Amino acid sequence: MKDKDTIIKLENVSKTFWIRDTKPQKSFRDIKNLITGGNKHKIEAVKNVSIDIKRGEFVGIVGANGSGKSTLLSLMSGVYKPDKGGKAQINGHFMKLSLGLGFNAELTARENVIINASIMGLTFREIKRKFNKIIRFAELEEFVDTKIKYYSRGMKARLGFAVAIHASPEILLLDEIFGGVGDEKFRAKSENAFRKNLLEGRTIVLVSHNLNVIKDHAQKVMLMHKGECLKIGGHEEIFLFYKNTLKVKELKILA
Amino acid sequence: MGVTFGKKGGGRNFNNNKYERIWILSKTDFKLRYADTLLGFFWTVVTPLVRLLIYYFVFSTIFTKKLPNYGLHIFSGLIVWMFFMEATKKGITVLKTKRYLIENVKLNSLDLYTSSILTSLLIFGINILVYLIVSLFFSTAVNWTIIFVPIQVLIVCILVFGLILILSTINIFFRDIGKLWEMFLLGLFWINPIFYAKTIIFEQFPALMYLNPLAGIIINTRNGLLMGEMPDWNIAAYDLAYALVVLGIGLIVYNKYFYKAAEKL
Repeated sequence: MKDKDTIIKLENVSKTFWIRDTKPQKSFRDIKNLITGGNKHKIEAVKNVSIDIKRGEFVGIVGANGSGKSTLLSLMSGVYKPDKGGKAQINGHFMKLSLGLGFNAELTARENVIINASIMGLTFREIKRKFNKIIRFAELEEFVDTKIKYYSRGMKARLGFAVAIHASPEILLLDEIFGGVGDEKFRAKSENAFRKNLLEGRTIVLVSHNLNVIKDHAQKVMLMHKGECLKIGGHEEIFLFYKNTLKVKELKILA
Repeated sequence: MGVTFGKKGGGRNFNNNKYERIWILSKTDFKLRYADTLLGFFWTVVTPLVRLLIYYFVFSTIFTKKLPNYGLHIFSGLIVWMFFMEATKKGITVLKTKRYLIENVKLNSLDLYTSSILTSLLIFGINILVYLIVSLFFSTAVNWTIIFVPIQVLIVCILVFGLILILSTINIFFRDIGKLWEMFLLGLFWINPIFYAKTIIFEQFPALMYLNPLAGIIINTRNGLLMGEMPDWNIAAYDLAYALVVLGIGLIVYNKYFYKAAEKL
């Protein structure tokens, strides 16, 4: 009964990447490395993280750049498989949003919306019914038949968020969707969507540098630092810890 | 005015639109293939016809002893060959071209393979229509044995499905596979009975017939389209078994290594 409400469960999850540097091959040793797989180095992106996320929870993830936040989202979604010994589970359909991803640049907004909505399980009839609402929410009426490659970052962010809200996946994994967009109106609108019950009943994980958004909406905050989860708790507790222990500049947003 | 879905709400059945989804994916694939070209859709017709003309002129100069209906003979083999070639070449990169979906939404990635094959199958269908139209000019009546052609199409689809499962998985780790496959295709073309009849090469090297199931598929398709003969059921059964084994291997490989796709591509 308790487990039925757990939507995302990470148990001792770690993720190590082996990156091979690609340099132009000059010497015999380089060619040897190519064959033997030498010259690799190890990146421990996420180290031993555990968390339980329940149905309807809004969880914020904070941390400096490169602290493993985005990798953690990919682990939650099951797109990455955790290292041996860890267990990651997601129960339900998710949509992961991050800037510029999720859309095919060569297709128009209309086509991208239809594909994404279709994959989220909407039938043609439902898509037809929702289509105008999606475009109106994103305020892109004039650019419906423009290829995504001509869109600005802000426009892409708006479109992605509009699809996510209307296509109604049970779980939203949001990766810095406001980051660097500088579109105040869209931010206000999305926050409004968070506030109103547009997203009620859905489980949301939001990675953001914008601590204000997290403070206002997240019931649970997770602090990542160099791949480790330092603390999980309420935002006051976490921000205080963040401020005192890590002394990160970004905190001035909080003022 | 909310945006929640009436009766279906949260716990929707995500397979209720499976066929629509596969269709929409291949439709956009099809569109993308000819995007920004002037002739657009007509390339699906122009490409095989130009190939046909070139091969026809080259081979009919080389071989003095002509097969009957040589143009149609080449064309019937060529369309099968082109389907096989296009579908496998496209399929190798399917995980990469659809990465934007794999990464961001939960989906059954086998649907991506199905839609990739469906795109090539659409073109194949158009080519068969073109074949039928061309055959009218040669005043050859369409044979009733054409009803056996779909069986061959099914066999070649199973074969291609298995092959692209294997090849696209290899492509995750070893990106050179695409180039190697193209080279392999270059050779494979010549050991298929496209511009000659089965008797020429397979009487000397019968093993080629068993190693390469495409040969049998081409022969049987031609039997149905051009010769007005029944398919050679022994060959068809052998090819089907071959294709199913390849599909089985493909599914095993895919299940084992697919999870690496998002990390490595």
